[in-house]
Amino acid sequence: MVSLMETRTAKELAEVASESDVDRKAGARYPGSVRAQGRFWQARWFIVVRAFSVFIGIWYLVALWVASPIQMPSPFKVLEALIALGRTGELFDHALISATRLVISLVISTLIAVPLGFLMAMNREANAFIDPIVELLRPISGIAWIPLGLFIFGVGGTLPIFIMAYVAFFPLLLNTIDGVKSIDRKLMSAAETMGVSRSARLLHIAVPAALPSVMVGFRIAFASAWAAIIAAELIGSPSGLGFAIEWYRQLLMSPKVFAFIAMIGAIGYLCDLGLRTLQHKLTPWAEGMGIGQ
Amino acid sequence: MTTATQTSRIAQLPPAVKAVTLPALLIVVWQIWAMTLPETSPAPAPAKVVQSFIELTASGDLVWSTLQSLGRVLAGFCVALVLGLSLGVLMGASRAVRENLDPIIESFRPIAPMAILPIAILWFGTGTPAALTIVAYAAFFPLLVNTVYGVSRVDRQLVRAAQTMGVNRLRTIATVIVPAAVPSVLLGSRLAMGVAWTAIIAAELAVGAKSGGGTSGGIGQMMFVFYAYSIDLNGIVVCMIVVGVIALMIDRLFRVAEHRLLPWRN
Repeated sequence: MVSLMETRTAKELAEVASESDVDRKAGARYPGSVRAQGRFWQARWFIVVRAFSVFIGIWYLVALWVASPIQMPSPFKVLEALIALGRTGELFDHALISATRLVISLVISTLIAVPLGFLMAMNREANAFIDPIVELLRPISGIAWIPLGLFIFGVGGTLPIFIMAYVAFFPLLLNTIDGVKSIDRKLMSAAETMGVSRSARLLHIAVPAALPSVMVGFRIAFASAWAAIIAAELIGSPSGLGFAIEWYRQLLMSPKVFAFIAMIGAIGYLCDLGLRTLQHKLTPWAEGMGIGQ
Repeated sequence: MTTATQTSRIAQLPPAVKAVTLPALLIVVWQIWAMTLPETSPAPAPAKVVQSFIELTASGDLVWSTLQSLGRVLAGFCVALVLGLSLGVLMGASRAVRENLDPIIESFRPIAPMAILPIAILWFGTGTPAALTIVAYAAFFPLLVNTVYGVSRVDRQLVRAAQTMGVNRLRTIATVIVPAAVPSVLLGSRLAMGVAWTAIIAAELAVGAKSGGGTSGGIGQMMFVFYAYSIDLNGIVVCMIVVGVIALMIDRLFRVAEHRLLPWRN
């Protein structure tokens, strides 16, 4: 099972941990945990701004010390490059190409993995036949498919889609199976006793019950796909964010390399934020299920 | 009627037979498909893959490349372990450190290891150090996150007991907090080794692709040479299988370690 552990942030985990029973009994350990409201220097946004200011300050000093604009461009040069790339639209063009590939591959993966997961979880025979082949393929990382994929699909847009769909498939499948298996059997039997049809049982009991786990799987699938696309585009595609960073590296235009890397991080962060919000909206009851569910 | 008896007959098959059916079918279909192709076709076939595996093993190339990649993974992992553990303990033990570092860590986490490669190449060239950087970067995050979790989850009563008995802060960290965090750290290590192994393949592939098949070696590079120079798809499939087997072995090794070191958790 792929656990939530992989998707939670360090801070979230620490907070879940510090809110445990043990801690509550022991009382507030951190003096800061009972905080005065309204003091802006203790507000979350202020801490974030301060942390970033310090980070950018250190970066600036390191850039001064290294004194090589190719190896370590200063934060201002990167900002300039970011604005210039934004003006010409190049930044968004490459981002849009990568994002489109991402969406296509996630749709393909979801359409295959989720129904297959339901089948494997509900039918023991199907599971006995299909599970071995899944377990045989799973250790082979998507990256390892790149050379063969390059040969089959050639350099272009199909290779990243194939690699991402492959990478996203396994967390989605495993979490779907896990979610369906966690369905309360009594609910299913009760519905059956009361004459609820099989399709209605599936739609009204199995799907909602499995949804939290599927959502977790989807977030992990997104994260691994977003990591894989960079490798796939860097090696075998003439467009996209992964291509752009390597292209500008070869031209030794470091500020643009850094600008594109920032874009990769920003999209990854925003998408995860969006998925997390969606998860909270779609499956609010899953909040209390804890870690590793 | 017939379908009912058929399904029950299928259900009665021993589990091992069921497990082997689909993979075996796949290999047979693949082999038959390959045999219909002309002799000169570069398409891989199971028989040729086995032959290629024997040749590559006999020449020692495969073993040497695998060892090279594994060595890099281990070195990068060790760097990540030192950084991830020390920073993780600090962040887990002190709320102030955690709150201030968390925004920075979280903004780097969605940046894929491969996105760091161009910078690593600018800094270190297309050799082993660039690959090591990617591996260390990839392995750092799971190690850090799980160490922070493990440390902040430590039973506060134990920490208080230690403090009551006059144990100083440093010694509390060493004797109470770190041992209690071991399960999380082990989990983090397993996840980290998994991503590190993927990262080294990606890094070697990309370095191979961008430096025109340089001399740095490793199994990822070997795959790239098979793709770009000798067009040996059977060799690529052999490498893919080896990559999978090593990934599986790393995972099993860490699971065994978890069982051995933490028998109370089973």
